[in-house]
Amino acid sequence: MNRTKTNREETDHSRIETILSTEEALIPSSGFLASVMESVHEEARLPQPIPFPWKRAVPGILLASGVFAWAAVELARHALPAVSRISLTPPHLYAALERPLEQAGWVALALAASLLSWLLSRRLAGRSGLL
Amino acid sequence: MNAAISAEEDLADVDRVLAGDAQAFEGIVRRWQGPLINMAWRYCRDRARAEDLAQDAFLRAWRGLAGWRRESSFSTWLFALAANVFRSELKRFPTVNLPLDEIAEPSSLAAQLSTLSKKLSNEEVRRSVLALPLRYREPVILFYFHEMDLSRAAATLRLPEGTLKARLSRARALLRRRFPHIEAQHAEMELAALNTGKEA
Repeated sequence: MNRTKTNREETDHSRIETILSTEEALIPSSGFLASVMESVHEEARLPQPIPFPWKRAVPGILLASGVFAWAAVELARHALPAVSRISLTPPHLYAALERPLEQAGWVALALAASLLSWLLSRRLAGRSGLL
Repeated sequence: MNAAISAEEDLADVDRVLAGDAQAFEGIVRRWQGPLINMAWRYCRDRARAEDLAQDAFLRAWRGLAGWRRESSFSTWLFALAANVFRSELKRFPTVNLPLDEIAEPSSLAAQLSTLSKKLSNEEVRRSVLALPLRYREPVILFYFHEMDLSRAAATLRLPEGTLKARLSRARALLRRRFPHIEAQHAEMELAALNTGKEA
């Protein structure tokens, strides 16, 4: 009984297999090649993607790095006296670190926003084929 | 011939295109338009749409030609790229909304005596492939498109052969379940055709 079932499944399988493997081939329509080449030539005529203007961007990047470095130095300058005043008493610790922590938070937020905008611009540039 | 010559021609044309000769892409389109349209046809079974999809695939190939790393053959790269294009386009605008269970099994024996009816019933089986879940549909499409060459189909889908084999087996089981009587019907049909011939 099982054997009959298996044989039957095999023949069904082979029939379905035959149907699926015997497909008549389509002939491309006469204008297909011309149409593809027209689109290709259109694309080829488009101006080359604009490369990222590194030369112009470098001063900006340097300036931004300088600002971040200055901020870091300022942060450390404010934090160090606070650190020296640290004791193990929690309220004291909190009072001494409150301002530096707040500044550090702002700096972290600014860094995160910059990173996010950089990632977003890369993604958009990548989609448009600029990268 | 053909594979070796075609591979050499592909390579030469790709080099010319990358050197700035856009016209050289015509050779690539000329050689691969048939296979790509037929592959797209198996994805959508709509001739006009198959040509649109194939055109999209050629344009994507044109844009990404520099990205072909030559680790695999040009045809493998082209088919994989085309499969991606067809898959994403058909996800955006699907062709078949009928679930597999709602596709009718090729109908009554009497109606199937002519060649035309036989063709139609075969077409129903082929169309039913489009109703399979995507993970089973693509292996079936590409396996038969590549003339049952498991390794080429696996390379196009970038899947291990074992995974492809398992998915094919599951797809066949689904199709068998959908068309349980197809073999018997065809046997009866052939017998009936034979008898009709004898009577005549």
